[in-house]
Amino acid sequence: MKIGPLSIPLKEDFSLKSILGFEKTPVNMLLALSVIAMLVMLVVGIGNYLIHSHHAYNVTRQHPWGLLIAVYIFFVVSSTGFCIVGSLGDVFGFKDFTMISKRAIFGSIVTILAGFTVIAFEIGHPVTMMIYNVLTPGLTSAIWWMGTLYGLYLTFMIIEFYFLLNNDMKKAKIFGLTGLLVGLAAHSNLGSVFGFLNARTISQGVYYPTYFILTAFITGIFLSFIIMGFRYKLNFNEKTKKLLEGLAKIQGLLISILIFFMTWKLLTDMYGGVPTRSDVAHHIIHTAPFWAEVILVMIIPLLVILKDFGKSPVLMFWASLSGMVGIFFMRYNLVHDTQVKPLQMMKIREYQLSPEWIHYFPSASEIMISLGGLGLCILLYYVGTRAFNLDEEEGH
Amino acid sequence: MARYGMALDYKNCINCKACEVACKEENGVELGAEKHRIWVGANDVKGEWPLLDIASAAFLPSQCQHCEDAPCQEVCPTNATYYDENHVVRVDSDKCILCSYCMNACPYDARYVDDRTMTVDKCTFCSDTRLARGETTTACQATCPTKVRTFGDLDDPNSEISELLRTREHFSLKAHLGTNPKLFYLT
Amino acid sequence: MPKEISRRRFLQGSVALTVIGSSAMGKTNFIYFKKEKSSIPESITTKTSTKKAEEIPFLCGICVNKCAGFARVEDGVVTKLNPNPYFPKSRNMLCARGNAGIQTTYDPDRLKYPLVRIGERGDGKYKRVSWEEAYNAILHGTDKFKGLLQILEEEKDNRSTIAYCNGEGLSKEGFEVLMGEKIGTVNYVDEVSICLETTLGGYFATIGTYGEADLSNADYLIIAGANRAEAIITPDTMDLFKRSKGRGLKTIVLDPRFTNTAAKADRWYAVNPGTDLAFVLALTYVALSEELYDKAFIKKYGVGFEAYKNHIISHKYTPEWAENITNIPAKEIIKTAREFMSAQSPIYYQGRRSVFSKNDFQLRRAMAIFQGLSGNLNKKGGIIYGEPLELPEEEINSPIYNQAQGRFDKHNIAILSQRAGSWMVFRNMVVEKKSPYPVRAMFMRKHNPIAGVPNSAKTIQFLKQMDLNVMIDILPSDSMMYADVVLPEASYLERTSPVASYGLLEPAIVQRKAAIEPLYETKTPEQIYKELAEVLSKPLFEISKKYDNELQEEVKKRGEKNVYKEDGYILSDAWEKDVAERNRERVVKAFGEDAWKILEEKGVYYSNIEKYHKQVNANEYQYYPENKKKYSVETDNIKLVFNFRHLADIGVDSMPTWKDEYLFSVPEGKFRLITGRHAQFTQSATTNNMMLRDLIHTNYLWINRRIADKKGIKFGDMLEVKSKVGKVTIKAYPTEKIAPNQVFMIHGFGGLSQDMTMAYGNGANDATLLEDIHEPVYGAAVMHETNVEIRKV
Ligand code: SF4
Ligand code: SF4
Ligand code: SF4
Repeated sequence: MKIGPLSIPLKEDFSLKSILGFEKTPVNMLLALSVIAMLVMLVVGIGNYLIHSHHAYNVTRQHPWGLLIAVYIFFVVSSTGFCIVGSLGDVFGFKDFTMISKRAIFGSIVTILAGFTVIAFEIGHPVTMMIYNVLTPGLTSAIWWMGTLYGLYLTFMIIEFYFLLNNDMKKAKIFGLTGLLVGLAAHSNLGSVFGFLNARTISQGVYYPTYFILTAFITGIFLSFIIMGFRYKLNFNEKTKKLLEGLAKIQGLLISILIFFMTWKLLTDMYGGVPTRSDVAHHIIHTAPFWAEVILVMIIPLLVILKDFGKSPVLMFWASLSGMVGIFFMRYNLVHDTQVKPLQMMKIREYQLSPEWIHYFPSASEIMISLGGLGLCILLYYVGTRAFNLDEEEGH
Repeated sequence: MARYGMALDYKNCINCKACEVACKEENGVELGAEKHRIWVGANDVKGEWPLLDIASAAFLPSQCQHCEDAPCQEVCPTNATYYDENHVVRVDSDKCILCSYCMNACPYDARYVDDRTMTVDKCTFCSDTRLARGETTTACQATCPTKVRTFGDLDDPNSEISELLRTREHFSLKAHLGTNPKLFYLT
Repeated sequence: MPKEISRRRFLQGSVALTVIGSSAMGKTNFIYFKKEKSSIPESITTKTSTKKAEEIPFLCGICVNKCAGFARVEDGVVTKLNPNPYFPKSRNMLCARGNAGIQTTYDPDRLKYPLVRIGERGDGKYKRVSWEEAYNAILHGTDKFKGLLQILEEEKDNRSTIAYCNGEGLSKEGFEVLMGEKIGTVNYVDEVSICLETTLGGYFATIGTYGEADLSNADYLIIAGANRAEAIITPDTMDLFKRSKGRGLKTIVLDPRFTNTAAKADRWYAVNPGTDLAFVLALTYVALSEELYDKAFIKKYGVGFEAYKNHIISHKYTPEWAENITNIPAKEIIKTAREFMSAQSPIYYQGRRSVFSKNDFQLRRAMAIFQGLSGNLNKKGGIIYGEPLELPEEEINSPIYNQAQGRFDKHNIAILSQRAGSWMVFRNMVVEKKSPYPVRAMFMRKHNPIAGVPNSAKTIQFLKQMDLNVMIDILPSDSMMYADVVLPEASYLERTSPVASYGLLEPAIVQRKAAIEPLYETKTPEQIYKELAEVLSKPLFEISKKYDNELQEEVKKRGEKNVYKEDGYILSDAWEKDVAERNRERVVKAFGEDAWKILEEKGVYYSNIEKYHKQVNANEYQYYPENKKKYSVETDNIKLVFNFRHLADIGVDSMPTWKDEYLFSVPEGKFRLITGRHAQFTQSATTNNMMLRDLIHTNYLWINRRIADKKGIKFGDMLEVKSKVGKVTIKAYPTEKIAPNQVFMIHGFGGLSQDMTMAYGNGANDATLLEDIHEPVYGAAVMHETNVEIRKV
């Protein structure tokens, strides 16, 4: 296809028919229906939001950030993760990993698009944002940097993908590298959105900006297993197996580092004696989502990897699904735990209990928009697999 | 060009909440438990009846501290939160994108969402109402039965607030966070 | 019968009342300013603009205190109420309720039009009618209820078959003129007998005044059962808390529950409810036995000191004795008595609250005596006698109704107040058919007896029993639901009220001016009085003529026209001039033209205001210079009556005496119900106020936390509370602020009127639970002698 001077090599049979022409197995049908359901939810959720604005959400004065922020983070971390994995081959030249590059870069684009979609309905005035981000930039604001850098990042990713499609590996590499650097900067800035909150001692500090890069890499690898699993219907060829084994080993290392990070973070939080940090940390380890994060992201995948040093790609596929569910909790916990301790601990009405921990449970609209984001992400990805050749070009 | 602040003789406070209502009526603040620019906090009294710990039952009036180094201002991506010419921390609702970052960043829970404009709102020191008309007191100050509040220019050495801060011991809330609040609690 | 006639003549015009008025409409507009048409604001709160706006002086009408303020009016809408810095009583403040007063005026549930009942009493079915139709319905009745004409006809012109009640307020006396003087019934009941009657009575009987506590100069304060932080009275609240907490005014609080006032105390004693008298007697014992009193003062003013001394000592009212009764340790009592008597300016705060126990009159006597023992009366830092500013009185031409019978609510009461009797005794005698003649019509204004008088069920029965109920009010209250004719009144921001005088130490007169025109079809009270009087005059006169022999004679002698006019039968003649005009006349007469000008502009006047009034700092003002304050005055009122012999003649202890019957027992498993106030709430009148509801949305039942734990009751659990006379459901508030055998709820919630959408069914009403017990001196309702059972539901 030609758009002006650009030429985008689409698959020859790309058409509505090809999109609908998937094999009608029960699993595929279920997946298709789920995606449709999620897209319907997206529409309903957005409709609800447009009518009731933020009243459609369960966000409050004390808990202004809710599920959508968590889901946004979930998507952009996924994007960064894809970007890192994709760069292994085509930027850093690890030959084993080039076969996944194009797919991963495409993944990074669809996930960040999903993320932007979700956040557009969390930010009250996205249009105002675009205007005043430029007119009166808040250079001391982590959100400004994060938003701006992610915007740039998306641009670079699209350009990289374009060159990948056109097999222009040299230019792809240049834009890939720039995109990766901008992405990492954007991503650590996202961490610093929390790290700068000195009102929120539990999140304040250097931990989140660095941890975000680590967990992005971990997320990228989980996602790689998932997309490759779908690509090969769990029937991996040797080359793929080799790729996945490599990724699994890296993952083993990364998860170990993560556990190490987290343990120390928690221990210093809990026993470091900093007020409003240690009590929050003690509170956190008594919550279920925390353990969901630990078990699904760390324990299960690590056990699978340790079983035979990453030689069971199918098992790893399932462990990665567990991992991604866990990653969702990880994002949710980050957002919620940051806000769980009220900043104002006194009673402001006679007939109320003293403020304790802040409760939050997402509203139906928030859940619908979040699932809608996931549906959108899957749909875009699926359409991409029909439109583009995301496999490594023969002869490379 | 002034540098406005407020001194609170907080031991006078009887938790009557006249200030909260005056603020709402003056500034057209919405009703609702979450929508307040100003509030008075109380703790549950400690001890068991009849040996209660009277000292634990103090009342603490609070509102935006108009920090000199305001975290809410630092984190605002569009500079919607700004210091006006009188060093009052204000929100320009035209620029506010409702990312709510400031609400998370303010250590004092001073900010909330105004549902009519769908932007973040907070105490303005009555800048766009009373001060704009040339009045010299804030609504919360004027109405207070026990005269807890003294509002004034910290840069003017002859102002009453400057005099109070020179002569009376005082503290600020969460001073360790380095926000440099301009609300001073007299002891 | 020439003799009789002379009595008649003598009586005429001898009733001088300070208040008269009429419509604030009409001329008012020209006298003041051209008002914009009132309009309803678009949102609940209105941000004030930066434009110049009108600032109209008003006097707050939300509670009894009467703070002065300025209403900011923009385009016919009141956008803000600000404190008035000129009024020495409220000293530049408005509390939360005062600020929220705007919401009363703009309450969407307001009574907007006259209504006539078309359904059954209590079911809230009414028809909107014109004012004329409403007045006529009062006179002639409808197919649903009888009119005044028929009732009076049937009762042969016994005017006392009509009863009336009115809550506190500036237009109250006008209603008394209409009902009591002009229409001529004696059966009047008001809030005093469910409030502070015994306090006033006790203090006047003992020291000759209720006085003012000079809290800005006192250095020691015992404040018992008065919750000045939550039941705000100015300037007491303001003065007290500026100097408590180790800043000059040592404060000892007695209260069964830990109130916000207790939170400000140096010491708090959780006194056993109803036993303050034993505490004061023991304080007195210490003062007398240790000879700590002011001997010179007693010598000069004391009456019966030796008898009292013997009485106290011989009864052995020792601190140890009191400890068992009051729950306050003897050594604390001794310490308090010594501290009090050795303080420079000690005050045992007179208090101002409802009657809690049967011994309240004697308690007040004992308190006043104890205060007197310190000699700290009529001086700086003490109880002030002061000098109120006098306004010229108004003469009312009251007709004499020979057929009208006298008061009957004297059952078990020693001193029946002739102005307004005992609500509870009156109601009960009517309900129990013990009245010597039938009471058949009830006129109510700004009063909600169903919520206010203990035992709501009986009040409802009382109202149901009437042939005619009329209600004049702003909101559709619980009691309004039983009215046959409803006359909607303008709120206090929509009316100019009769000028009033306040203060003893720093006296001033104040005027409330209408900030806006009455909204909807409402009218000012004085206009309603006048118009109703106009409609009733002639027909009622005809009835009197028919049954009153003396009147017939008189008519024969002087001619009907002359008698009708000269003897006051033109009921509306008391409102010939409107309020604004009357105010002007009275003020000019007393203080001159300049005074009127100042009053018009500032809302407040006192001599030399322009010279004396100065700003001291950003918040505070000087009203009178130190040497012009009326700390000490020459007056004959000062006395200290220890032994009031005359009381014995009417069966009341002549000296405060403790009786074992005052001990109140709470059976195992039950709780003593106590009630009280809250700073963001004024009884049932503000339950529908959006702004205040935002601050306190409902009442809760305080229950001791440990007891609640044992019973498995958690915060917010629904409880059923049951007494002998009624039951309610209410949410639980477990707290350590109350004793294990007591429960507490704020008075006034639990609205029954469906037309008050915010208040309806919200919380519980204590009056439903409280038994109808009254104290023996004035028949004032006793609020804290009811036991209840509670059950989780
Ligand atoms: S108005 Fe004054 S006394 Fe009342 S709550 Fe506010 S600060 Fe406290
Ligand atoms: S108190 Fe909060 S809202 Fe006010 S200036 Fe400080 S950080 Fe900003
Ligand atoms: S200064 Fe004005 S805006 Fe701020 S809390 Fe007081 S009344 Fe409200």
